[in-house]
Amino acid sequence: MNDKVPFRLRASGITKSYGAVNALSDVNFELKAGEVMALLGENGAGKSTIVKVISGLIIPDQGEITIDGDVVQLNSVRASQEAGIAVVQQEFSTVGTMTVAENLVLGQNGAPAWWSPKKLKANAKEILARVGLEELDPSTPVDKLSVAEMQLLEIARVLAKDAKIIIFDEPTAALSDAEIVRVLEAVKRLASEGRSIIYVTHRLGEVFEIADRVTIFRNGRSQPAENVSDLTVDTVVAKMIGRELGHLYPERSGVHGEPVLEARALKVPGIRGEVNLTVRRGEILGLTGQLGSGTSELLKALAGTNDVLAGEVYLEGAPVDLRGRRRGIVTGIAYCSPDRKKDGIFAGLSIRRNLSSPWLRRVSSLGFVSGKQENDEALRGATNFALDVNRLNALVGNLSGGNQQKVALGKWVGIRPRVLLVEEPTRGVDVGARAEIYTQLRRLCDSGVGVVVVSSDTNEILGLSDTIATYYRGKQTTIKPATEWTEPALVREVMHRED
Amino acid sequence: MTTTETISVGFQNRAGTRSLINFLRNWALPILVVLLFVLSIFLVPKFAELTTIRAIFLQASLIGIAAVGMTALTLSGNMFSLGVTPTVILGAMVYIWVGEGTTSMWLGAAAAIIVVVILGIIQGFIVSLGLNAVIVTLAVGSVIYGVTAIVTKGALVEPSEKVDLAGFATFDIFGIPLPIVVFIVFTALAWFLTEHTLIGRNVHLLGANKETARNSGISPRATTVWAFIAMSLGFGIAAVIASAQIHSVQADQLPNLTLDTVAAVLVGGTAVTGGDGSPIKSAIGALFIATIAQIMVLTSVPDGLKQLILGIVVVALVVILHVLRKAGSR
Repeated sequence: MNDKVPFRLRASGITKSYGAVNALSDVNFELKAGEVMALLGENGAGKSTIVKVISGLIIPDQGEITIDGDVVQLNSVRASQEAGIAVVQQEFSTVGTMTVAENLVLGQNGAPAWWSPKKLKANAKEILARVGLEELDPSTPVDKLSVAEMQLLEIARVLAKDAKIIIFDEPTAALSDAEIVRVLEAVKRLASEGRSIIYVTHRLGEVFEIADRVTIFRNGRSQPAENVSDLTVDTVVAKMIGRELGHLYPERSGVHGEPVLEARALKVPGIRGEVNLTVRRGEILGLTGQLGSGTSELLKALAGTNDVLAGEVYLEGAPVDLRGRRRGIVTGIAYCSPDRKKDGIFAGLSIRRNLSSPWLRRVSSLGFVSGKQENDEALRGATNFALDVNRLNALVGNLSGGNQQKVALGKWVGIRPRVLLVEEPTRGVDVGARAEIYTQLRRLCDSGVGVVVVSSDTNEILGLSDTIATYYRGKQTTIKPATEWTEPALVREVMHRED
Repeated sequence: MTTTETISVGFQNRAGTRSLINFLRNWALPILVVLLFVLSIFLVPKFAELTTIRAIFLQASLIGIAAVGMTALTLSGNMFSLGVTPTVILGAMVYIWVGEGTTSMWLGAAAAIIVVVILGIIQGFIVSLGLNAVIVTLAVGSVIYGVTAIVTKGALVEPSEKVDLAGFATFDIFGIPLPIVVFIVFTALAWFLTEHTLIGRNVHLLGANKETARNSGISPRATTVWAFIAMSLGFGIAAVIASAQIHSVQADQLPNLTLDTVAAVLVGGTAVTGGDGSPIKSAIGALFIATIAQIMVLTSVPDGLKQLILGIVVVALVVILHVLRKAGSR
């Protein structure tokens, strides 16, 4: 790289507005060869817009983009690909019924029209090795892969195109910590080959692990890139939200009352052995483990959407029947799923209709819904979870991830829950909304609701819970107060436990 | 907080475009119907006569009552029924048979509606086991057609002179024929039940997202059966009105009713995927289709061309509504 073209990619003065709103105002962004540049910012700050500009999905109103010193017109996705830019999407673009090797040659520019099985396999082997999937058989159908392997395959597909600039858009959002390590290693390897990486993420920990520099977006404006070594988590967060966050996690009350939910000798599919758990009044119980550790299955069993093989569950001393969600809701067990788009919200309906969905029966008499009671109760739920009460008619699908999550949680307030079961409460949620969600969970807990949180984010479990139960490969391993854990010890417990 | 401000500013701005798109989506068809009427008064001979308007609304009543009923099924995420014609024909025959036997058109009507609803419940149970509603209704419809054709040996089922079973078609209320009154009342009732009852709301939620509905404690099976019951009520009432209107019934009559009903629901703007729509929209859709059909009768368009034009209009409108829905939720 000579001195005249110090930057692989340089975007200067990029402006894009929609009507009166500036999605990007005078954004300047630069990328050196072989570096990992993290893009940070809250939802709506502009980081996904600049990614779309670079990948040719959005044409800016003003500004100039140069690659290796030459001005380029990225007017289409094809133009962007031809300029050597590739995007690793959050959503998978692989074909499930085809094999790994076949997927790797799909849509590849300039690929031969016919591949011999031998050549196809050799080609796949070579590419897979570069993303750390050397042990994977290229003839495996993609359907059979784990989420992490699919994400790595997605990266491999991009590699097959031999791009010099690779954009990662939250590649680890759906992965557990152990799997994240594999993805991050693949990213580092790509950078060491001299490729430039743009890495968009919500997870601050990853930034410090792999990024060389960080560009922070706020209100559609970029801030000058900074070296990661000059930053700390606190300074990054402050720059993102424009003020000091204070404590992300609310303070613990420390006073625990009588048991609310008790599981005795519980056996559920996905968990080896018996589980004994107690959630007391004023206590947040955190369950943590990697994907496949059984935490998700356990929570679903308590919610009544997964089978219970043996054992008993008591709610305030009385045994409860866990067959079906309906019974659970009537007895006061709320369950917030980890994948809000799939089974947590109604994207096409208004906030009010979403909020009222689990407790419509309670505001109905003789089968008729009382509009006034519905509205009053919806207002209560919205206020509780810091949702704009003037926007109750807005479609939930149009809200930001954070606000969608608040709807997915806030709807349970109306059933007057005695227990709230939450899985991954802040997945794909920006920092500001995260803090609000933690505060509300703590407030519900303080008001007497037993709260059980399942999360693969160890930082979150450590900061939010009073008591932590750890799981490893389908077995409950420890239960201890959160104060007896440090984050490294907890990570070691759930990731590298010696059996 | 900074985030909330930025997001809400963008939101309100986009909300401007969105509300325009949603205005178009909700009002395009009513405006189109009015325009069609106004233009036809000037351009189509005999359109402005009372008999024409009456014929349009009578035709719209039959399609409309069936379509308003079917909206429940579409809203629940089960697409539509392809067994409208045989179900309505069977209901019409039951009306004549029981009406003859008991010499009461009221008992005949009750029997027709009950038979059709029972058939609906059976189909609802089958679909609630996880089968596709389109296939089940097509298959059951085919069975019903077979049975009616065999039982009647393909002959006309006709009421004798001694009983008057045409009452439901010939009654007037303040000069408005009873079928039209029934159509309007049924639509209003269907709207109220959809919006303000637990079952109506559950049907809507189920269609909007089955998995979320399940997690919210809504039983997909029971709700699907309820959607079939609501639809069958519409078919049963349509059967009584059809029978009273056409007087004598044959197994292979009303061949276009199924497609007209489906078209009315889709043109009205209820989403095929469920969870978005309204019985009122389907009622207006039925009026639109009846109007176009009547215009083509008055202008002597040959039968084949009639079907072609109607088909093109329906497809064009459904595509436009789909694009608007996508744009409106972006």
